[in-house]
Amino acid sequence: MNAPIIWLHEEALRTSHPVFRAAPTEAKAIYVWDDAYFRRVNYSLKRLIFIYETLCALPVDIIFGNTPDILRELAPTTLYIPATNNPLILEIITELKTITSVQIYEDEAFVVPKKSADFIRFFQYWNKAEKTAFLKNGGLDA
Amino acid sequence: MRHLKKSFDNREDLISYVRELAPWAVGKHSYIQGGTDKAERKLAAIDPIAYAHTRNFGDGAISRLSPYIHHGILSLNAVRNYVLTKYSEPAQISKFVQELAWRDFWQRILITHPQWAWEDAEPYKTGFTAQDYADDLPEDIAYGKTGVACIDAFIHELIATGFIHNHARMYLASYTVHYRRIKWQTGAKWFLHHLLDGNVASNNLSWQWVASTLSHKPYIFNLENVDKYFGKLVDTSPLTNHPLDASYEMLQERLFPNIGKPL
Repeated sequence: MNAPIIWLHEEALRTSHPVFRAAPTEAKAIYVWDDAYFRRVNYSLKRLIFIYETLCALPVDIIFGNTPDILRELAPTTLYIPATNNPLILEIITELKTITSVQIYEDEAFVVPKKSADFIRFFQYWNKAEKTAFLKNGGLDA
Repeated sequence: MRHLKKSFDNREDLISYVRELAPWAVGKHSYIQGGTDKAERKLAAIDPIAYAHTRNFGDGAISRLSPYIHHGILSLNAVRNYVLTKYSEPAQISKFVQELAWRDFWQRILITHPQWAWEDAEPYKTGFTAQDYADDLPEDIAYGKTGVACIDAFIHELIATGFIHNHARMYLASYTVHYRRIKWQTGAKWFLHHLLDGNVASNNLSWQWVASTLSHKPYIFNLENVDKYFGKLVDTSPLTNHPLDASYEMLQERLFPNIGKPL
């Protein structure tokens, strides 16, 4: 097995994401330009260009190929991955878990409570969220 | 292992390179560019006070941060923290922060109910069942040739730029689902294809909200509303927007004739 890797996906393209703080310093960040994934999501060219422009400004290697195949070849001890709720990215993560150890890191919270969603209408959410929505870091460093 | 190029002399070279990587991808580039520096510039330009007063108008002071937020280039937390450093009064930023909260809300809903990404959360409240809605997107909608001038203008902007005002998104979603009786899932896929900020949670659940499968009633609009908010930007003459030129009472009867009738 080789050094741990930060696997970035299209919804976490910044180095200040908590996954970078969580990963050990020797972990390199990679983005797999996965043609099969892009065909599945059927993005227009303008979406692909936007992602590529963003990647060019980040300290990440862009590797062309199928995500599980690339990570099988790189064989990291651990994969550090930003959390997502995107169903297709979650499918890939499920497959990556069969290859190596995976650790998922949530993005910075916007409000407290961080995760719960025992509501389905916005006003129900807002009644709970409003108190911390106007606080720096959602009041979490208070 | 093929490592891809990261340095280009100019944007045209980068665009050509991506086109070669994905020859199957349709369309052209947008004038909106990705990248951390672009995101920071947009963030520095936001005006929450003007946003509060003008956000519903086509030429209002909206932030256009969503493509950068979707890609995680900016976190909701960072955007909120930034406005807090600039404006000390909660009243000055309340509308703007609430808009950020809508995004947080949709993300949480999808985490709790992942099946709602593509399944109806609730039945339609339109007097129709899901089976009454078509699966395929008609070509005239896909390419902005509906013959309804303002709708076509919004579609052309969507195709060309990958970004349209939230109000225009609601008009297009409502037109597709309620005026044309197409499944919201079909419209959601169409938006995800084009929108630079296309996010399954925000996009698909908003389509469900318009459709009424995640709200108490369907969202509908009429020409008067489009004229009020976009009259300076698109053709809103009754002659070229005939299907939309009606009162809400008339539209309610025309679009949802089964509501109130016994099954």
